[in-house]
Formats: sequence, structure tokens, C-alpha cells
Amino acid sequence: MNRFLSKDFLAGVMFIAFGLAALWFGRNLAPGTPVRMGPGYVPHMLSYILLVLGFLISLIATIYGGEPIEIPQFRPIALVTIGLVAFALLFETTGMFPALAALVLIASLGSEEFKILEVIANIVVLTILCVLVFKIGLNMNIDVLRGVW
Amino acid sequence: MLSNLALGMGVALSLQNLFYAFVGCMVGTLIGVLPGIGPVATIAMLLPITFHLPPVAALIMLAGIYYGAQYGGSTTSILVNLPGEASSVVTCIDGYQMARKGRAGAALSIAALGSFFAGTVGTLIIVLFAEPLTQMAQKFGPADYCSLMALGLVAAVVLANGSVLKAIAMVFLGLLFGLVGTDVNTGAQRFTFEIPELSDGIDFAPIAMGLFGIAEIVVNLERKMSRSGAIKVTSLWPNREEARRAWPAVIRGTALGAVLGVLPGGGPTLGAFSSYTLEKKVSRRPAEFGRGAVEGVAAPESANNAAAQTSFIPMLTLGIPSNAVMALMVGAMIIQGIQPGPEVMTKKPDLFWGMIASMWIGNLMLVIINLPMIGMWVKLLTVPYRFLAPAILLFCAIGAYSLQNSIFHVEQVAIFGVLGYIFVRLGCEGAPFLLGLVLGPQMEEYFRRAMLLSRGDPAVFVQRPISLGLLITTAILLILMALPSLRKAREEAFQEEEG
Repeated sequence: MNRFLSKDFLAGVMFIAFGLAALWFGRNLAPGTPVRMGPGYVPHMLSYILLVLGFLISLIATIYGGEPIEIPQFRPIALVTIGLVAFALLFETTGMFPALAALVLIASLGSEEFKILEVIANIVVLTILCVLVFKIGLNMNIDVLRGVW
Repeated sequence: MLSNLALGMGVALSLQNLFYAFVGCMVGTLIGVLPGIGPVATIAMLLPITFHLPPVAALIMLAGIYYGAQYGGSTTSILVNLPGEASSVVTCIDGYQMARKGRAGAALSIAALGSFFAGTVGTLIIVLFAEPLTQMAQKFGPADYCSLMALGLVAAVVLANGSVLKAIAMVFLGLLFGLVGTDVNTGAQRFTFEIPELSDGIDFAPIAMGLFGIAEIVVNLERKMSRSGAIKVTSLWPNREEARRAWPAVIRGTALGAVLGVLPGGGPTLGAFSSYTLEKKVSRRPAEFGRGAVEGVAAPESANNAAAQTSFIPMLTLGIPSNAVMALMVGAMIIQGIQPGPEVMTKKPDLFWGMIASMWIGNLMLVIINLPMIGMWVKLLTVPYRFLAPAILLFCAIGAYSLQNSIFHVEQVAIFGVLGYIFVRLGCEGAPFLLGLVLGPQMEEYFRRAMLLSRGDPAVFVQRPISLGLLITTAILLILMALPSLRKAREEAFQEEEG
């Protein structure tokens, strides 16, 4: 296994990336003086600490090696994310029911045993539950199907 | 003190609060029984809903979920050898063996009654320590607070699982995310990318939902969940021999759990593991452990519940969360417009004492919910995860939307879900990140105020005796971590946990 593909090395790289990103996006924030700190003082301080820690973590991982990273399965994370985005896009334009159906359908594709009848049953049960809890129970202002209910 | 308790009982016994305590205990037991979803993810999911409830009811319900999960987790550990919660992993070892010997009912009732005893003691400890600790905290200046938070964050890291260096980096990353929004002192926009929703700061609930809820679902979807058949429960009563062996273990477990719960980074899981190890050491029959020793069920189950109660102490009195669940409770208070800290007790006594009293009532409810209704909970285990995962996702999505009726928060959940998944894959713990995120804004505020008062001299942090003492403790913890022998012992302790 390549020593650059260890969990620790990549984690160090991630921290360095966050540190650099924070420095770049915070470049216009005035640091000020220790007495009167500007908005940038603490962010800059934290960014530098992250850079140092990230560098240390990566360095230790390259010298001593580390636990290799597991090859991620992209299907579940991709489908869950797509499902959430689809929900966000559909919710305000078409109402809760289409958004809910899309989310449950897409997320169910992520599991290995996919049965369409089960998914439909799940959608029906969850719709009833959500209407009871959110619309009736907590009295939220939600359209179930936009323009209809 | 008695008048405080009376006030608390009055609040907790109102019909509305009793109802929410019951809801919290039911939900807690439910998620405790179901593997694949823990109290952190559940509380994160329900945070937006609590926004629609009165503050006392909201906190009572969330607290109920937390300690309810400790009860529920033991049920599946004993009956199906499947821990519903991390804190019930050790209960599997001897609990399931007892069940195989036909003593399932005895194991269950010892676990429940031990938990109830521990919960009662834990609640009493909170009552005893709350006032003195709060009075002490009111003497703290900005520098002292800053050092106290540093100590809390470092201690949380030391006791957390996994690499210390990575956990420290996660704390700083959390602190950095906490800075997003408008700078309180100058009004400057920091890391807002001209998104209006971000100018009030990054919302806590969607981050917690993404990091814990979504990432947990994805990881569970990746691996297959196997379920084995449950063991039938006959009599619920332990026999005389079992009772005689259980009660000293319950007392030892309660004591150890109560102490470990108060420590930052401690909590139910640490309490359960430590007390199991302790029982094995003090037992006259160590060979029985792993073959259905009563002590192996009684001690860890009492310890995890005692720790669940006492971990409220630093949060309620100092405003410093000691673990991820407490960080979420702080988030829930902030959503309700309450700044956690020593003022909560003096300014909102009804909330403070009501919550404590409700914990004892909740524990009583849990014994009733758990023992007679055991069959129903076990049936729930047969619901496959492919039904649960979309349902959990859906609750996250609607909950996030309902925060401010904006789909921006749903998108935020999706983004932090991906980030949380990356954290899991890289072996970075979410809990230190969350603690940093919650404490970040306050810590910056105290830091800047302390430096302003001292005219820019950082020596203020070592000149004030309270601050100096806290910083020395922090340094000692960090040095201890660097010692090779201690690091090895810590790794071994967590190895056992994973095994």
C-alpha cells in the first residue's frame, strides 16, 4: 500500500487545505493588534495552527506509515446527497409529497435489496407520518402538494 | 435545596412536561434498541423540532432521549447480542450469556433496576454539586473562562478515541467553523461568501445533522446489517443468589460511572468499559466473566446511566459541554435563546430545577417502559435498515427546512453530510469538531475581552490564579498524553472497546 494513501496522511492534507482556504478567504480581514483585535486576528491564528498540525500529522504518517484508507463505496454517499438536493429543489416548488417521494426513492436505491413495492409502501407510511407530525402535530406551514393542499 | 427540588418537581410534574419527558424516554428507548442510530444523531435530528416547543419541554425531551438510549441499548445487548448503543457493548459479553442460560429476564431486570438506582444517585449528585459549582463559576473572569474552555477541549481530546493529534486538529477546525458570520466587535463579515443566511453564523443544527445523522446512515448503508433471533424472556425476577451478587456491583458501577461522567470527554461509554474492567479485577470469580457473570451486567449498566446523568453537571453549571450530546444540548439552549452558563440557574431556576427533577421522573418512567414492554421493543428489531435509512434522512431534511423555512439549510445538511463522510473515512472524530464549533464564538469573545483588559499582554492568562491552575492542568494532560507508556495504555483501553 502506498504510504501516501494512509488515513493519517490524507487527514493532514485535509487540515492543510482547510487552513489555506481560511487564510485565502480571510485575507481581507484586518488582524488588528493584540489590544484591539480586528476581525481577522483569531481566524488567522487558527489557520496557522491548522497548517502546523496538518503538516505534523502528514509528516508523522509518511515516516511511520499509517492505517491504509478503505476504498470508499461511492454509491451510498452519492445517492444520499442527490436525494437531499432533490428534496431541497422540489420542496418549495412542488410541495412536501413530491420531495418526500423523490428523497425516499433515491435513497432506497442506495441499499442493496431494492424492491419497488416496499419503497412505495415506505413512501405512503412516511407521508402519513409526516403530515401527522409536522402539519397537524407541530402545526407547521407546509404545502403537501403545492396549490392543492 | 429542598425548596429548589420542590420548584423543580412542580415544573416537571406539569402535564405538558410529563408528556415530553415520556416522548423523550420512548424515543430514547426506541433508538437505543435500534442499532445504527445513536443518541447524537437523534438529538441532532430533533433539534429543529424543539424550536417549536417551550424551552423547558424541549430540554426535558432531549435529556430523556439521551438517558433513555442507555436503557434501550441494554435490551438488545442481552437478548440478541447486538449492542444498540456504544455504551452497551460490554453488556453483550455477559448479558447474552446469561440469556442463553435462561436468565434473560433476570439480566434485563438487573440492568433496568441498576440503571434506575444509578440514575437516582446521578440526579442527587447534580442537585448537590450544582449550586457550589455555579457560585464558583460566577467568580470567573474572561481569562479564566478562556482557560477553562481550553481545558475542556483538551480533556475531551485526551479521552476521545483515536489519534490525539488528529482530534486536536479537529477541535481547531471546529473553532474555525464557529467563526463564520458577522464579527460581534466590528461587524465585519467573516467567511460568509455573501450568503445572507451565513451572516448570523453557521447554523448548528444542520451541521450536527450532516456530520452525525447523514454520515452515520451512509456508513451503515455500506455495510450489511445482520440480525439474529431473539431469546424468549420467561421470568423477570432475579433469584436470591443473583440479587446478592448484583447489588455491590451496582454500587461500584454507579460510583465509577458518576465520577467518569463529569470529566470532559467522559460519559456513558467510558463509564461502562471502566466499570466492567473494575468488576473483573475485584471479583472472586474472575473466570465467570464472559460466561454470564451477573456483575458483568449490573456494573456497566449502572455505570453508563450514572455517567449519562452526571455529564450534565459541567454543561448546566459552567456551560461547558463534555461530550457531543452535551454540545447538542448547548445548541438546543442557544436555539431557545438561552446562553448556557452559571446564569441559567439564577435567572431561569424553573428551567434548571425542572430539568433535573424531570430526569428522576424520566428514569422511573423508563423502568416501566422497558420491563413490561420488552416484547414490543424486540419486535422492532425485525424492521430492516432499508426502511429506516430513508425515514431518518427524511426527518433530517424536513427538520432542517423547518429551522427557518428555507431550503438553504437542507443543502447545508447535504454539504456537511459529505464532509462528515470524509471525516469518517479519514478516521477523524466528529465530537471534538462539534465541541470546538459550539465553544468557538464564546472562546474568541472571552479571549479578546481578556486581552483588551490586560492591554494586549498575554501574561494575564498566567497571572490570574484560577486561569493559571486551569492552564497547568491542561498542560499536564497534554504532557501525559505524550508519555509512551500512557499512550499505550490508552490505546489498549480503546482496543478492548472495539473488540
